[in-house]
Amino acid sequence: MINTSWKHIRRSPYQALTAVLIMTITFFVATILVVLAYASSSVLKYYETRPQVIAYLKKDVPTEDISAFQNKLEADTRIEDVRFVSKEQALQIYKDATANNPLLSEFVSPKVFPASIEFSVKDLSFAQPLIGELENEGVVEEVAFTASLGSNQNLSQVVERLTSISQYIRVGGGIILTFLLLSSLLVLLVITGMRIASRREEIEILQLIGATPTFIRGPFLLEGMFYGLMGATVGWLFAFLLTLYLSPSLVSFFQGIPFLPKDMLGILQLFGIILGGQIILASALGTLGSFIALKRYLKI
Amino acid sequence: MPPKSLLLPMIKFEEVTKKYGSANAVEDISFEAKEGEFIFLTGHSGAGKTTLIRLLLREITPTSGKVLIEGRDIKDLKSEEIPFYRRKIGVIFQDFKLLPDRTVYENVKLATEIDGRTTPKEEKKIEEALEKVNMSSRANLFPRQLSGGEIQRTVIARVLVQEPKIILADEPTGNLDPETGRQIVDLLGQAGKVGVTVLMATHNADIVNALKHRVVNLKNGKITRDDKSGKYKND
Repeated sequence: MINTSWKHIRRSPYQALTAVLIMTITFFVATILVVLAYASSSVLKYYETRPQVIAYLKKDVPTEDISAFQNKLEADTRIEDVRFVSKEQALQIYKDATANNPLLSEFVSPKVFPASIEFSVKDLSFAQPLIGELENEGVVEEVAFTASLGSNQNLSQVVERLTSISQYIRVGGGIILTFLLLSSLLVLLVITGMRIASRREEIEILQLIGATPTFIRGPFLLEGMFYGLMGATVGWLFAFLLTLYLSPSLVSFFQGIPFLPKDMLGILQLFGIILGGQIILASALGTLGSFIALKRYLKI
Repeated sequence: MPPKSLLLPMIKFEEVTKKYGSANAVEDISFEAKEGEFIFLTGHSGAGKTTLIRLLLREITPTSGKVLIEGRDIKDLKSEEIPFYRRKIGVIFQDFKLLPDRTVYENVKLATEIDGRTTPKEEKKIEEALEKVNMSSRANLFPRQLSGGEIQRTVIARVLVQEPKIILADEPTGNLDPETGRQIVDLLGQAGKVGVTVLMATHNADIVNALKHRVVNLKNGKITRDDKSGKYKND
């Protein structure tokens, strides 16, 4: 059956090429969309989980009280990445931030800076109630919510913007992908229909000598599956190479925000999962296209 | 007491009529063929010979009457049983019906492939069949590279490998010169000698008269003569 399918493909190379090309385009776009969805989700997660709340501590609070407060925060399930920042560390942060203008930090002493506890919330909706709770804590002098991100945007606005971009990618990508998958299905249906028409006599002979419908239909189904597999693999490969090629520029653009896995192994894992999923989807799509054509054009 | 299958005729037509619209293709046909019997179906074009063959292949069903194979009415065959039924029947057509993209060997092998028989024993059978029809040296050629007689011999090899109980030949010599036609009929005659029932539609008087097998003559869809003497007559 595999040999017969392969013969069918070799005998009509242009039809086969058309089917593989449309599948390649579909799965190239599919891979890019999945990578974009992953990247937007990673960037969103990065912003959502970076330190967002800073509780400045009162002066002369005993160390035990600070530890107790930190432990309480660490036990809170709404909170993660709790970090104590001492006066000295705060000064260092200030110096780093004003490195371009040493005069600003020259006469500053660590005493000016309060110690603080920074943490991030697991979901931004937890931020407001938490801030209210923290303001009532005895050890807390003041609570700050995020740093400014330039212009007038604060973190919640950035997250909101990213969330909507991420949704656009998912919904828009989903629509584009559905359209492409449908086009691929129709192209496969037409090509399989043409192949059935061109083999009408052959099918008749096979029927006369006692071939079962499965024996006759099998090579057409395998052919559809082959187009799907080839298209998915080639489309994926192009998308993978394009991602690798653009990575340096993208890394520089995102300025350290981890939009893709950090190491090559992680990237390979991500693309491996995409390839696996696409192979299953492509096989199903190819087989379905041929199956519908067989139902429509081959009444045996 | 012999087994039931030996008592039953291999082929039995019981008052079979096939109509296309209001026109009768065959009408009130009744005859039997025993196991190993060789019968010529004669008659002019349009007499109903091909309709009888198509009825036997279960390509069409009778409008009335019964076509029985080994006692079973083939109209009752379920659609999934038809391919298995057809494996019992070897078919030879005037227009050959070989797959053009397969070699002689592959075309013959097709009969075993569809049956799921792919053992070395089957391969030996294919080689023997090709040898029997004198096509061993042409095994790797494609149908377009063969003469009419060679193509028809390939079809016969495919039928022999199929090991059918019945061979239906619809004008198998129609496109061949007399000598080649004679060779083809000889090969079919050999099949008859090993218990295969052969039904051959022809209007080649020379072949019919030479072989002296039973002749069932059709005219306008009706049997006009069922003659054991083996003579071709223009009824």
